[in-house]
Amino acid sequence: MTRYKRVSGDAVEYEVFARKTRGEPLHQVGSVVAPDDDLAVAYARATYDEERWIEMAIVRKDDIIELWQPGEP
Amino acid sequence: MSLSDLVLSIADNKQMLGLRYAEWATRAPSLEADIAAAAMGLDDLGHSRVLLGCLEPLGEDPRGQERETDSGSLRSLPYFDEPWTEWAQFVAANAILDTAFTVMIEACVNGSVEVLQHRLRKMLMEERYHFLHGRSWLKSGINAEPLNRAWTEAIEWFGPPDGEVALLHREGKLSLGPKELQARLEEQLETKAPKVEVDWKGWDPVRRRSKPGAIDEHTFSMLRGLEEKKFAPTSAQSKEV
Repeated sequence: MTRYKRVSGDAVEYEVFARKTRGEPLHQVGSVVAPDDDLAVAYARATYDEERWIEMAIVRKDDIIELWQPGEP
Repeated sequence: MSLSDLVLSIADNKQMLGLRYAEWATRAPSLEADIAAAAMGLDDLGHSRVLLGCLEPLGEDPRGQERETDSGSLRSLPYFDEPWTEWAQFVAANAILDTAFTVMIEACVNGSVEVLQHRLRKMLMEERYHFLHGRSWLKSGINAEPLNRAWTEAIEWFGPPDGEVALLHREGKLSLGPKELQARLEEQLETKAPKVEVDWKGWDPVRRRSKPGAIDEHTFSMLRGLEEKKFAPTSAQSKEV
């Protein structure tokens, strides 16, 4: 299965996670593309800071270990 | 010159920095950078308003009527006089000038003046993201010209070794003097400033700059709300008259 990637050159895709209360788990709110962690942090904050999150975190998409994908058994 | 004059200088510079950032909200190299330019612009315009709100509690508001008609009375640096034409100018301002304003705000927050200690602290949290953005783009490499210009203007803005900022530092109102501010800026950016020779005799202590000039006419009209009026319905304009 071919998956769409929107990165080019040295840029890396990061997934952005956040939550609004301590009681809820972190959930994915979007993604950003950046050449390094610092810029990814700045972009994530600029792009997803509209809501009152109590926590936000980013992770390199390549560091996520997938167990299965949509369409797989 | 007083602490209020310095706070007004930070406010005017942040206002212009915010406006110049905003001009790049659709011209930056990537969608993420566009959004960051818009977000940082909003932050700095907000910071400017908070700083202006500190003038009254400081006991002195140096803003005069001339600010309504004379763009040369605003206290922003020459770097903001004209819109930036290259991304490198954005990056140099973001990395060096924005961080220079932040280290001055740090010096206010860590100084002895209560209203600045309390009201400016939140800015430092927001500025962390501006710093990460600027430093990362700076590391990717930009032209020397805007970089040297930004360093020169930052060092000029910190002021002479025996000037008002040095005095405010000695009095404890600022936790850092000009020399320490430059050292802190260099430490933050992990780089040394180029050698800058400032002729302090030609330096304007109120506008904290050596170069004469002022912001462009269009931007000044926008600040005064005149650009906005051009888009108002004719009926609304005639009512005002």
